[in-house]
Amino acid sequence: MNDSDRKIYRAKLVDDFVKGRISRRAFLRNAGMFGLGAAALGSGLVRPSRVMAAGGDLTPSKDVLDWVREVSKPFAGTTLRLATESTPPSNAINSQLKQYFEEASGMKVEIEVLPLEQVLQKLTLDIASQLGTYDLYYIDQSWAASVSRDVFDPREQIADKPDLAMPDYNIDDFLPALVDGISKYEDRWVGVPYDIPIFIMQYRKDIYDKMGFKAPETLEEYYEQAKAITDEMGPDMYGATGQMKSGHYSLECDWTAWLWGHGGSIFNADGKFSGNDERGLEAMDYWTRLYKTMPPGVTGWTWDGQGQSVAQGVAASMMSWGEFFPYFDDPSATKVSGLMEAARCPKPKHALRTVNETGFGEIPGVGHQGGSSLAVSRNSKNPDAAWIFMQWATCYDTQVLITALGGGTGPTRESVYDDPRIIANRRVGAGTTRHLDVVRETIAKDMGSEPDLPQWAELSNDTIPVRLGKYFAGEYGSAKEAMDDIAQAVDKIVQG
Amino acid sequence: MKLGVLSADRPLVWMLPLIFMLVAFTIVPLFYNIWLSFHEYAPFKRQLVYVGMQNWQQLFADPRMWESFGTTMFYFVVVLSAEVVLGMAIALLLDEEEFGFGLLRTILTLTLVVPPAIVGMMYLLIEDPEFGVLTWVLSSLGIMDKSTPILATASTALWGVMLADIWQWTPFMVLIFLAGLRSLPPEPYEAAMLDGASAWMTFRRITLPLMSKVIAVAVLIRGIDIFRMFDYVFVMTSGGPGTSTYTLSLYSWQQTFSFIKWGYGATLSLFALVVILVIANLFIWAARVRW
Amino acid sequence: MVVRSKTSRVLRTVAGWAVVALFAFPLYYWLTVAFKDGNEIFNWPPKIFSFTPTVKNFEEVFGISLGFGFGEQREVLPGGGNWRMGPRLWDSIVIAVLSTALAVSIATLASYALSRMHFRGRHHFVSWVLSTRMMPPVAVAIPVFFIYKDLSLLDTYTGVILIHALMNLPLAVLLMKSFFDDIPREIDESAMVDGASRWLIFRRIVLPMVKGGIAATAVLCFIFSWTEFLFVLTLTQTGLKTVPVVSSTFVTSTGTAWGNMAALGAAAMIPAFLFILLVQKHLVRGLTLGSVKQ
Repeated sequence: MNDSDRKIYRAKLVDDFVKGRISRRAFLRNAGMFGLGAAALGSGLVRPSRVMAAGGDLTPSKDVLDWVREVSKPFAGTTLRLATESTPPSNAINSQLKQYFEEASGMKVEIEVLPLEQVLQKLTLDIASQLGTYDLYYIDQSWAASVSRDVFDPREQIADKPDLAMPDYNIDDFLPALVDGISKYEDRWVGVPYDIPIFIMQYRKDIYDKMGFKAPETLEEYYEQAKAITDEMGPDMYGATGQMKSGHYSLECDWTAWLWGHGGSIFNADGKFSGNDERGLEAMDYWTRLYKTMPPGVTGWTWDGQGQSVAQGVAASMMSWGEFFPYFDDPSATKVSGLMEAARCPKPKHALRTVNETGFGEIPGVGHQGGSSLAVSRNSKNPDAAWIFMQWATCYDTQVLITALGGGTGPTRESVYDDPRIIANRRVGAGTTRHLDVVRETIAKDMGSEPDLPQWAELSNDTIPVRLGKYFAGEYGSAKEAMDDIAQAVDKIVQG
Repeated sequence: MKLGVLSADRPLVWMLPLIFMLVAFTIVPLFYNIWLSFHEYAPFKRQLVYVGMQNWQQLFADPRMWESFGTTMFYFVVVLSAEVVLGMAIALLLDEEEFGFGLLRTILTLTLVVPPAIVGMMYLLIEDPEFGVLTWVLSSLGIMDKSTPILATASTALWGVMLADIWQWTPFMVLIFLAGLRSLPPEPYEAAMLDGASAWMTFRRITLPLMSKVIAVAVLIRGIDIFRMFDYVFVMTSGGPGTSTYTLSLYSWQQTFSFIKWGYGATLSLFALVVILVIANLFIWAARVRW
Repeated sequence: MVVRSKTSRVLRTVAGWAVVALFAFPLYYWLTVAFKDGNEIFNWPPKIFSFTPTVKNFEEVFGISLGFGFGEQREVLPGGGNWRMGPRLWDSIVIAVLSTALAVSIATLASYALSRMHFRGRHHFVSWVLSTRMMPPVAVAIPVFFIYKDLSLLDTYTGVILIHALMNLPLAVLLMKSFFDDIPREIDESAMVDGASRWLIFRRIVLPMVKGGIAATAVLCFIFSWTEFLFVLTLTQTGLKTVPVVSSTFVTSTGTAWGNMAALGAAAMIPAFLFILLVQKHLVRGLTLGSVKQ
């Protein structure tokens, strides 16, 4: 550890102790190691009632809360419900921030945190029965097409209810690429971008240094590096890892990244499956080779196991969700704190297809995005109150707090990336933001988005990953056979 | 003797609450499902539309359905036999008062109080290809190594799921069989001892016949639940790898909740219901279970 | 009593302990997970005995020594504010206790009649009761969801209690019938001769005699309600949740909080296990499910 790292770590340690994240004993033990005398403890280091993070005060701005207080008067006593995946922003809101909103508005916010599949189940049941239990929907980008008619378009809400519109909400601040990729279906906005997990390259700096590697520039280089690491250090360390659980959405996510990266696409301009064309098969060939450099367990892992394999020092790199990065930096949960580095994904092998060459609004790009939007349900009994909450939850100030409080997922607003409170959190440690420049660049330059069609939920959660799973389990004679089978099944479903 | 309608001498009066509950929560849903199986949810209209026999035709032509039917039956037979045989063996073993056996019988019941959904997670961790205890044990013994992840290999995944089921429910069988063993009359055993019969002969000729009713009821109760098993596959494999661990329950759950094909989901459920009804009634008839 | 040789007794003792140890091991391991921090859960070889125990997971799950208080900034935890499981345990207890009470009451009444009164088709009636358990849960969940929607029973204790009671009825009826069958009919008959009514006999004479059986039945109903997953998943929203369903909260987009899940799982075993201890004697007696005595 060099001197500046040591300083950062020490600052973090004191910070942790002050905020009550670590015990006095752990603090003393670690402080001793890093040359921080016990004297520091005597020098008035008591828990302050209000905590100042490195970059400033981490409580909601008074202006925002004043607006909430003013506009919520008619809705005091309302209860709002939201079902969401357990993602960093939802957790930050639920555990930290919503109490400020509740206090100011007099409303109650109930957030149901569930695994992604269960969120989809709750949401579809709510829509199909027009129940209106949930006032707000958390909408994964792969469901946008199917629920687009069941939510309000936020632009219309702003126009229709000027008295409820938050001043300076600035809906144009949302990154346009995200609006296109996550929240737009045909001409409608299906809510606003709420979170943006996106594929970035995350690798072990120490191992790459030892092997004399730099962050890979091309996919082929990435494969060479992965293979070299696995050959050299396996089976204790593998060069790459994956989220390749059969029949799970995550497997489809990995596939699209390699597919797009080889100049392929899921659909062609005629709306036919094209994963079995020449480019698609080249991608499969690449993926099959790369798979051999991964730990054997990958075919049983979703993002959970994939992240764990890096966190526990079994895999040296992963091209996957950037929201894992702040978790990797958390020394209490992983063995790789401070060892990881983020980089943009390798460049595609062949030129990416353009949107016009693909079908259903698919946007090829190696940086697969898995963002979600937040929208007010048309079935809600309190759409106005829900709209107030939604503006608050997605406004600039709240998003800064979510990110700074350790959310660490990429903000969906352009301006948040430049906020001093975010920049101040670029130290090594849980909830770091030191990967966010890469995330921002990836969104702007590398982002790939899945197609929007009502059948996509079924295709991406079942049809495609079940058959890809069979392929990796060796149930097909060749990649071509597997892809032809997928093509047949997908086309049948798309044509109804 | 003339009985009033609400006389306590009429059995119906006693059973009325039971009948009310069963009608409200099973007969109504049953008819609803039958009705549903002739309809399908149309996502664009946001309503159910009549589709005639389409779901039933699809059912019999659907290779996924037949595959999951096969998986369900295989799972059913293997898990049920394993639980009965192991349950009986352990019950016989523990049906004595050796040192600490009372405590052991108590410890054994612990597996029952863990929710199956959590047991699924537990075995997911135990069978993890990289960090799992079972993976470690198997690879230390040289039986399997990390290159065949249990739950991600088509040929072993279902066994990995079965393990969780067998672990959790064998103790339930042990409890039932222990109860049965304790209610057996002592006389035949005394006679057998005087004749000098071997332990195996005593078991074959005396215990097994006397226990046959207990075994039959245990098989029935447990069999029904095994056939409907959902929690373990849902949590552990979600049907994978490929389609190798799809059971009928999971498949109909997926059609119903993931794809909002309520009609087809209901059709699958009805099919599963018919199958288990036939199996159970054949069994009741063959094993001469009477209440 | 059969006399056994010393060797066979020793063998049996060793085998008994070994078999139970095998069954107990996964639970033991799960318990260690509850006391490990993230890094120690994932290890190769897995840490079975040597690890540094921590109660952090329990603290987090039950919010014991944690200040989630207003204004105090903490690292955002996976699971957000939904980590406080105390209220969820309470939900589980309320639902399990009340649904058990309902199921046992209904089953006791019905099985008394099934045991004591003769009527045509009794065997078929019991078979029918059992067959209601064969309905696939999904097939029950969807219709009940819509019925509940119209009756405003979604997301309520009442709704879940009713469905859990229903789920337990077949087993409870079989069990209770077996306990009634154990009590000689002569007792009823002699009371009847004395002019006591059915209801009086049931309440004053027979019911007190099956107390143990009721306890055993109650424990099984309690366990099945305590561990049920699919109905609670479908029929509740934000208002209440039981332990099996809420445990999936620990599956987050950035990994599963295994330690916390194990802590919840371990804590959730305690109430159900206590009940088992209380009625174990009756449990071992009664689980023949009415198949022994005719």
